Amino acid sequence: MTDNKAIQVRGLTKSYGKVRALRGVDLEVDRGEIFGFLGPNGAGKTTTIRCLLDLIRPDSGQIRVLGLDPQAVPVAVRSSVGYLPGELSMEDGLKVEGQLRYYLDLRGNQVDWDHVRELSQRLDLDLSMPIKNLSKGNKQKVGMVQALMHRPRLLLLDEPTAGLDPLMQQEVYRLLREAQANGATVFFSTHIISEVETLAERVAIIREGVIVEEAQPGRLVSMAMRRMWIRFLKPVDPAPLENVEGVTLLSQSNGLRVHLQVERELDGLIKALASFPVSDIEIERPSLEEIFLAYYRAGSVEEGN
Amino acid sequence: MLAELKHTLRRKRGQLIGWAIGLALYALMMVSFFDSIVGIEGIQEMMQAYPEDLAAFFGGFGAMNTPKGYLEIYYFNYMPVIIGIFTVGVGAGLLVSDEEKGTLDLILSYPVSRTALFWGRVLGLLALNALVLLIAYLSWVLPAQGTGMDLTWIQILRPFLPLFVQLVFFGALALLLSLVLPSVRSAGMLTGGILVGNYLLIGLSNLNEDLRAFIEYTPLHYYQGADAVDGLDWIWLGGIAGVSLVLVLLAWWRFQGRDIRVAGEGSWHLPALSRLLRRDKPPLEA
Repeated sequence: MTDNKAIQVRGLTKSYGKVRALRGVDLEVDRGEIFGFLGPNGAGKTTTIRCLLDLIRPDSGQIRVLGLDPQAVPVAVRSSVGYLPGELSMEDGLKVEGQLRYYLDLRGNQVDWDHVRELSQRLDLDLSMPIKNLSKGNKQKVGMVQALMHRPRLLLLDEPTAGLDPLMQQEVYRLLREAQANGATVFFSTHIISEVETLAERVAIIREGVIVEEAQPGRLVSMAMRRMWIRFLKPVDPAPLENVEGVTLLSQSNGLRVHLQVERELDGLIKALASFPVSDIEIERPSLEEIFLAYYRAGSVEEGN
Repeated sequence: MLAELKHTLRRKRGQLIGWAIGLALYALMMVSFFDSIVGIEGIQEMMQAYPEDLAAFFGGFGAMNTPKGYLEIYYFNYMPVIIGIFTVGVGAGLLVSDEEKGTLDLILSYPVSRTALFWGRVLGLLALNALVLLIAYLSWVLPAQGTGMDLTWIQILRPFLPLFVQLVFFGALALLLSLVLPSVRSAGMLTGGILVGNYLLIGLSNLNEDLRAFIEYTPLHYYQGADAVDGLDWIWLGGIAGVSLVLVLLAWWRFQGRDIRVAGEGSWHLPALSRLLRRDKPPLEA
């Protein structure tokens, strides 16, 4: 384990009774990057984040947050972290300002209140509103303000834009990019693919407590399976194309048009096509959503087998 | 720790004010009745005319026409149960109610150690009980000067100390049980049951000698009540305070190793009674 990573997790396991929530999570997040943690509900995203803050204790594995062990020095870790929980609950008896001032108290009053006002204005949050009267979206804004108010070095955000309208989502993205520009690392979980494509520099996909892929969103797309339609100037025998590694012939029509499925890089296929009279090529690129779903389908098939 | 102490007092201020007003009004009423009640001719004979068993249950109506006896019968005898309801409620919800509401998750993501959070809240519990009793005390001692209740301020103060220590004991027990049982409600119910059960057992032990050996292991046996007007039993006080400290330390240890739950997430569950009582039904005949 090194100190130059914002987050390092090795072999993290956690069970709740008979339910194995994490089955050996390995994860590394560089300092200063925006990292998306993608997975459906119940995949282990929240459990992983809560282990990072020592809110729950893992059964095994190693964790370092900003080079520190959260179980050994939880207060030191938390002083540098801004956290937004997935299920945000606050004191119904307080107003927004009272709630934020309580959080400020917990930070030893080492927060610039003007910065809190500025964040609230940008998110169009009324500080005089009673918490009990807030909509889910407005509660989420309070959550974002409290996570950002002390200019943390690491942001751990569990579904940061849940309940926000599209305009506010864009504002949150801007705030997170600004935090990154000021040197912060942003680690956020989501099940919204477009959010990862918009915001994240790298992404990890978690499925049933295991990281099944970790890459840049663009690289995930380029590495994934795609489908191709190829038209030829005259009828051909497509058998040589089937021999290319990673290529599957899905259908053909009279040797004039073939439908292929290609996994991984296209290099081998392009070289094989050099000897064919190609008229046209159409490539259907999968969205991140399809890749994500493919990981889940693959998992289900494996389990079915 | 200070932030949590302030927060505990702030969020319980409604309950604190309600209990303080109620106890103050009751004390004012009882003080104002003192001269009238002890002045009733033949009051002692009237009290002795009560059925023996009833008198024995309440520890006897021996000296009701004295300030100490009056305080015992009309106040300190049952105040551990009355104010205990408040204390048990606060103790059971001190930490786990935040967990059940889902607010503890976020609080513990701040640079506050579990130890600081725990002791800040425990200090809040102690402060709340002390404030309630302070107001109750002032409501006795201030108007008592204008009556025939011939007790000094220190004599009236003394019985509040054993009462405070008993309240701390039951608050600490509720806190510990809330960290062991599945919910705040189950911890509150069990602690409340123990408190009321102990009170009844003390009364019944005056009727049944066989119970006396058993009540020595119960906290209320070591409650002085208005007897403390004449002087405090420091061994009893120290003993109950010591056991309370052990309970709090156990709760602290339990909280240290605990996985913080989020809203809606349960811990273990008591088996449903219906499931325990359910018998396998014979298969339906075709």
